[in-house]
Amino acid sequence: MIKVNDVSKTYGKGDNLFTALYKISLEVPEGSTVAIIGKSGSGKSTLMHIMSGLDHASSGEIVIGDKSLTEMKAKQIDAFRASEMSFIFQAFFVEANQSCFQNVMLPLEIAKSPRSQRKKRVEAALKAVGLEEKVDALASTLSGGQKQRLAIARAIVNRPKIIFADEPTGNLDSATGELVIDLLFELNKKLKCTLVVVTHDGELADKCAIRIEMKDGEIISASNSKTKKVVRRV
Amino acid sequence: MTTRDIIRRSGRSLKSAKGRTILTALAIAVGTFALTLTLAASNGATAYVNKIINDNFDPSELIVTADPSIFGQANTSSPKEYDPSFGTGVSNSGATTQIKKITQADIDTIAKVDGVASVREDITVNARYMTREGQKKYVTTIASYNPAQKPDLLAGGLGADFNGAKLILPEGFLQSLGFSSAENAIGKSVIVSIPKNFSPDQLKAQLLAGSFAQTPEQLAKSIQDNADNVVFTVAAVSKKPATSRPGTELYIYTSLDEARALNDISTSGSTGFRKYNSIFVKVTNGNKPSNLDATAGRIRDLGFQVRTVKETQEFLTNIIGVLRGIVAGFGLIAIIASVFGIINTMYISVLQRTREIGLMKALGMRRRDIGRLFRFEAAWIGFLGGAIGSISAVVLGIALNPWITKQLNLSAGTKLLIFVPLQIFTLIAILMAISIMAGWLPSRKAAKLDPIEALRVE
Ligand SMILES: Nc1ncnc2c1ncn2[C@@H]1O[C@H](COP(=O)(O)OP(=O)(O)OP(=O)(O)O)[C@@H](O)[C@H]1O
Ligand SMILES: [Mg+2]
Repeated sequence: MIKVNDVSKTYGKGDNLFTALYKISLEVPEGSTVAIIGKSGSGKSTLMHIMSGLDHASSGEIVIGDKSLTEMKAKQIDAFRASEMSFIFQAFFVEANQSCFQNVMLPLEIAKSPRSQRKKRVEAALKAVGLEEKVDALASTLSGGQKQRLAIARAIVNRPKIIFADEPTGNLDSATGELVIDLLFELNKKLKCTLVVVTHDGELADKCAIRIEMKDGEIISASNSKTKKVVRRV
Repeated sequence: MTTRDIIRRSGRSLKSAKGRTILTALAIAVGTFALTLTLAASNGATAYVNKIINDNFDPSELIVTADPSIFGQANTSSPKEYDPSFGTGVSNSGATTQIKKITQADIDTIAKVDGVASVREDITVNARYMTREGQKKYVTTIASYNPAQKPDLLAGGLGADFNGAKLILPEGFLQSLGFSSAENAIGKSVIVSIPKNFSPDQLKAQLLAGSFAQTPEQLAKSIQDNADNVVFTVAAVSKKPATSRPGTELYIYTSLDEARALNDISTSGSTGFRKYNSIFVKVTNGNKPSNLDATAGRIRDLGFQVRTVKETQEFLTNIIGVLRGIVAGFGLIAIIASVFGIINTMYISVLQRTREIGLMKALGMRRRDIGRLFRFEAAWIGFLGGAIGSISAVVLGIALNPWITKQLNLSAGTKLLIFVPLQIFTLIAILMAISIMAGWLPSRKAAKLDPIEALRVE
C-alpha cells in the first residue's frame, strides 16, 4: 500500500513561488496498477518522484507499507529504493557501452544481493522480456523497443514491490508500445508488484485499475473512491 | 554496492572510454618511467658504492691522514709555507704541492691512543717492472694486502701463511707473463724490480770512480740499474675485480711486512722514507659506530685528519642522493602535470555519465558509493599509468643493463640499474593515492548530483 497524504511541492520563493503539486492525497493498494495522466507540466513526474522518495515533498507525507518515507534518512531511503522499487523511463536510460547482462546486473549490485544468485536472476529477467539471445550484446546495438525491454528486465530483476514507469511507451511506435504495455501487465500479474505508470497513452491508462488525472498540480479526477479531490482556494 | 563491484564497474567504464583513459594514463606513465629508472639507478649506484667500499675497506677501520688535502678539504687559494721535510709532489691539476705525511713517530703516537687496536700503513710501492724468466717486463704497482679485503680468487689461497715474498697476481697478468692458466701460476716465481735511491756512500763511490754523469745516457743507465730485483712466489691469482677502487685493478698485493720492506728499499735515502699519505687504524670493537666515533675524535684531537669508511660511504651516497633528487624532481613535475589531466578526464567522465549517475541514484545507489565509483576510476587510471611507466622502465632497464656495464667498463655481472619490486609497488600505490585525490572533486560532483536533474538531461 502506498499512501500519499496531503503532499504539496513548491519551487522557488516569494514572487517566483510555483506550486507544482497542491495537497495531493491518494492510496494505491498492493499489487494494483495506477495510471497518472494529464497534460504536460501538470506535475505527473513530480508526483512520481516524490512517491518514490527520489524527491522531497514540501509538505505532507508518503507512507509505503508501514514505513513513512518522510521520516527516513537519505541513506535509508536509498536502501529502501534499492530493495523495494524500480524505475522505467521514457528515454530508456540503459548504459549504452555495457552489455545487456551488465545493465540488468546493476540493481543487484546496488542492492548487494548474493553473488551466487546474480547470474541466474539476470538471465531469468532477460528471458522474461524476450532478450535471452542478447545477453552479451552491447545495449547500444539494441532497437528502441529492445532497449525499453532491457530497461524492464532491469526493473524486475530485483523483484521490486513497486515499479514506477514514467511514460514507458513515449519513445516507441504504437505496435512496439503495445508489446511493452502487455509485458508490463503480464509482469504485474506474475510478480504481484504494484505498477505506477505516468502516461499520455489512453490505451495504457485504460488497462490500469486506478486512473488519476492531474491538472496544474492537482488531481481533477480519480477512478477509485479513496482518492480525495482537493480544490485549491485561490 | 560492494567494493569489488565498484572496482569492476569503474574498470569497465574506463574500458568503454579507452582512448581518453590511455592518454591520461600515459601522462602519468612518463613521470613513473622517469621515477622508476631514477630509483633503479640510485639503487644500483648505492649498491656499487657499498660493494666497492666493503670489498676494499674494513668498516671497523679509520683512515687517518696528516694533510687535509687528501680528503679534498685543503685550502688551495692561500699560499702554503714550504717545509723541507716533506718533499714536493705534483697535484692532479699539475700544480706543485707539498703533502704533509704521516711519520713513524705519528704512527707510534696513534697506536697508543685509547681504542686503537692496530695501525696499518697504506703502502703502495711503484715498482719499476715485473717480469718472469723469458718474458717481457711490465709496469706495476705493489700494495699491502689488507686481510679484510676478500678478493675473488681463481686459484691459490690466502691463508695465515700469506707472508714474506708472496703475492696475489691479478688475472690480467697471466697471459702476459706466459702462464697457461691460473693454476699453472701458483707457486711459480716472478721478479719485481724495485727502484732505489742512491745512498751517500754510493754517490761518493760513483763520484770517485768518475763514472758518474759523464753522459746523460750513462746517468739514465746508472739510475736504471740502481734497483733491487726481488723474487716473489705467486700465492694466489685474483679474478678481474668488479669493484676494486678505480685504478687499482692491476695492483699486485703482498703481505704488509713485505710491502714495508719494499717501501724501505724504494724510499731509503729520500724525504719519503717511512712516511705515508695515509694509514688505517683498526678500532677495538669498531663495528660499533660509537666506538668508531669516539676513537676518531681522540685522533682528531691530536691534529690528524680522520675519516671513517662509513663517512666516505655516506659522502658518496650523498652525491648519488643529490643526483637522484634532481631526476626525481623532473619525474614529480611530470606527475603533478598529469594530476590536472586526471581531474580533467574525471570531470568529462562525470559530465558524460550524468544520466547514468541519475539512474544509479534512482536505483538506490548511495552517494558514498557513487563517489567511490569515480575515485576508483581515477585510481585505475593511476594504476594503469604506473604500470605502463614502470613496466616499460623495467623492460628498458633490463635491456640496457649489459650495454651500460660495457660503456662504463664495469666488470661483467655488475648492474647499474637495480629494480626493487617493493619500491615499484609502493610507487604505484602512491600514484593511485595521488590519482584518487585528483579524482576527489569530480567524484564529489558526481555524488552530489541531483538525480531528478540528472535524469532530465536529454
Ligand atoms: N526544479 C524545478 N524548478 C522549478 N519548476 C520545476 C522544477 N521541476 C519541475 N518544475 C515544474 O513543475 C511542473 C511539473 O513538472 P513535471 O515534470 O512533473 O510535469 P509532467 O506532468 O511530468 O510533464 P510532462 O508530461 O511534460 O513530463 C512543471 O511546470 C515544471 O516546470
Ligand atoms: Mg514528466
